[in-house]
Amino acid sequence: MIRAERAGAALGVVLGAGYLWGALAIPEISIGDPLGPRAFPLLLGGLMALLAASLLVWPAGGQLVGMGISLQTVGLVLLLGLYGYGIPRLGYPLATFLFLGIGSRLLGERSLWVGPVVSACLSAAIFLLFTRVLDIPLPLGVLAGLQG
Amino acid sequence: MEGNTLGHLLYGLQIALSPINLLYAFIGCLVGTLIGVLPGIGPAGGMALLIPLTYGKEPASAIILLAGIYYGAMYGGSTTSILLNVPGEAASVVTTLDGYQMARKGLAGPALSIAAIGSFIAGSIGVGLLMLVGPPLAKAALKFGPGETFALMVFGLSMVTSLSGKSLRKGFVSTILGLMLATVGTDLPTGLIRFTFGIPKLMEGFDVVVVAIGLFAVSEILTCAEEMSAGSYTTAPLTRIWLSLKDFLQSLGAILRGTFLGFFIGVLPGAAHVTASFLSYTVEKRFSRHPERFGHGEIRGVAAPESANNSAACGALIPLLTLGLPASAVTAVLYGALLMVGVRPSPFLFQKHPDVAWGLIGSMYIGNVMLLILNLPLVGLWVRILRTPARWLFPMVLAVSFVGVYSVNNAPLDLLLATILGVLGYFMRKLDYPLAPVILGLVLGDLLEQALRQTLMISGGSLLPLLQSPICLVLFGLAGVVMIAPKLMYRKAVRLEIET
Repeated sequence: MIRAERAGAALGVVLGAGYLWGALAIPEISIGDPLGPRAFPLLLGGLMALLAASLLVWPAGGQLVGMGISLQTVGLVLLLGLYGYGIPRLGYPLATFLFLGIGSRLLGERSLWVGPVVSACLSAAIFLLFTRVLDIPLPLGVLAGLQG
Repeated sequence: MEGNTLGHLLYGLQIALSPINLLYAFIGCLVGTLIGVLPGIGPAGGMALLIPLTYGKEPASAIILLAGIYYGAMYGGSTTSILLNVPGEAASVVTTLDGYQMARKGLAGPALSIAAIGSFIAGSIGVGLLMLVGPPLAKAALKFGPGETFALMVFGLSMVTSLSGKSLRKGFVSTILGLMLATVGTDLPTGLIRFTFGIPKLMEGFDVVVVAIGLFAVSEILTCAEEMSAGSYTTAPLTRIWLSLKDFLQSLGAILRGTFLGFFIGVLPGAAHVTASFLSYTVEKRFSRHPERFGHGEIRGVAAPESANNSAACGALIPLLTLGLPASAVTAVLYGALLMVGVRPSPFLFQKHPDVAWGLIGSMYIGNVMLLILNLPLVGLWVRILRTPARWLFPMVLAVSFVGVYSVNNAPLDLLLATILGVLGYFMRKLDYPLAPVILGLVLGDLLEQALRQTLMISGGSLLPLLQSPICLVLFGLAGVVMIAPKLMYRKAVRLEIET
């Protein structure tokens, strides 16, 4: 666990140092602005690197949980990425239908007919709620062709 | 607002109670509750999206409708925070800390009920305060220059101590991460682009909704998915649905403190209702005899921020109604809506358009009652959402959350950012880094930096104005107390333990 915490702290040091590097690249402009756009990020980067370094040397502990990642979690992350990619291209109803169907299967839905039926009903209901009741536009995507 | 306040209020109630305005208030409250319950959209975004509903209506009716949406969204915002650990907007982030823990213990019903009752009490007292102390308070708020705003933001950041869990250093790392995210985008005073890596969308910076959905909703579901695969996930039990008298009496002090605190913070410019909810939580935790219960399902940890957030909504209307100045995103939308219906907000709004100003105040009383009647019976229904099988509930929550994220800017990149932030939040949870301070840093970061730079620009680079302003000194002092008090109290407790 301590090793995981140290790895997290090391990432914090890298983040702080990388941010500091980025802050140093900000041009110094101080016409009428004594602090300029660089000072605050420099301070933040430095503080982050210092605090993370202190956690690297003296880990704080706390309620750490196992660092193992399940295949389901990895699958869900990939599915979410694809869902985000699919919404503007396939349209919200179709992307959501696929996301709900695959997502529920990934999380344990075994029935072959419940998945598609519930996914179709839910994606249609959410789409209609947002577009018709709340008047919030959502992309119809490939289904736009069916509207004529 | 001078003269016979009671007479004016009766006039306002007369306008608000007309059948057509009652209908608009009801529609506003209903749609607002729906917007609040759905994660992502938030009160300001929801009102902006629904402005077209006001076309062709009388000015008073249009504003009553929009105010209903505003109020309803503030009420509904706590629902998903409590049930699913998914904050609908930044001000509801604090509610997740104890609300979700209550839900996990089977007490989602009492948590939702106290949020509704707290919001009702805070809303009713807030409207009363708006009428009684509005104008002098608005003038006092004008004394808040950049220096005072900077001091307020420092005070706001000191609240990280109450959100940090066991390690203060980890709390600070989370806060700095939020502050770093706040620096991404266009630097307003110079127009320089910072940390965007050539991605044009990032020029606008990170949207709080995107970060909140990613860090809380996505990471929560990833964590639960992992528990499901390990076989350790259990559906939350349903211990009881209704609030007991003991729960209510226990929370009453927190509700009242949250109400007054929230109202006065609400008048100030900036992220007032977010600051108000974080601050009221901090105050409750600091003054509690059992601070260790906070974060583990303490009912006062739900009552205080929910009350503060609602009374801050009333306080935020003061600069708009008495000075004609929109001091927050929500009041800016209301300002725009007033202009569209032919009413120019100004210090003379109460004289020139009494029907709009007093009608709005009257409708706020009516709206509060409507929302309580609407929300309490819904508690049973909302709680039953938790009975949905997790294999359907989680994908559904993600699908709805992603609409919320997408509807903010219609930007596919926001969906990717929410996923990445979800993975970050998932690992932060594993390593016991608190998530709420990231939101605190993100919300306050930009205001903090801009206020400091404006102060230095005005003073020609001197920090002296910060030390000469009594308001600044009080706020810095309070920040110091908030930071040091836990250590002193801990030492005192250890000493007492050794003595006994």
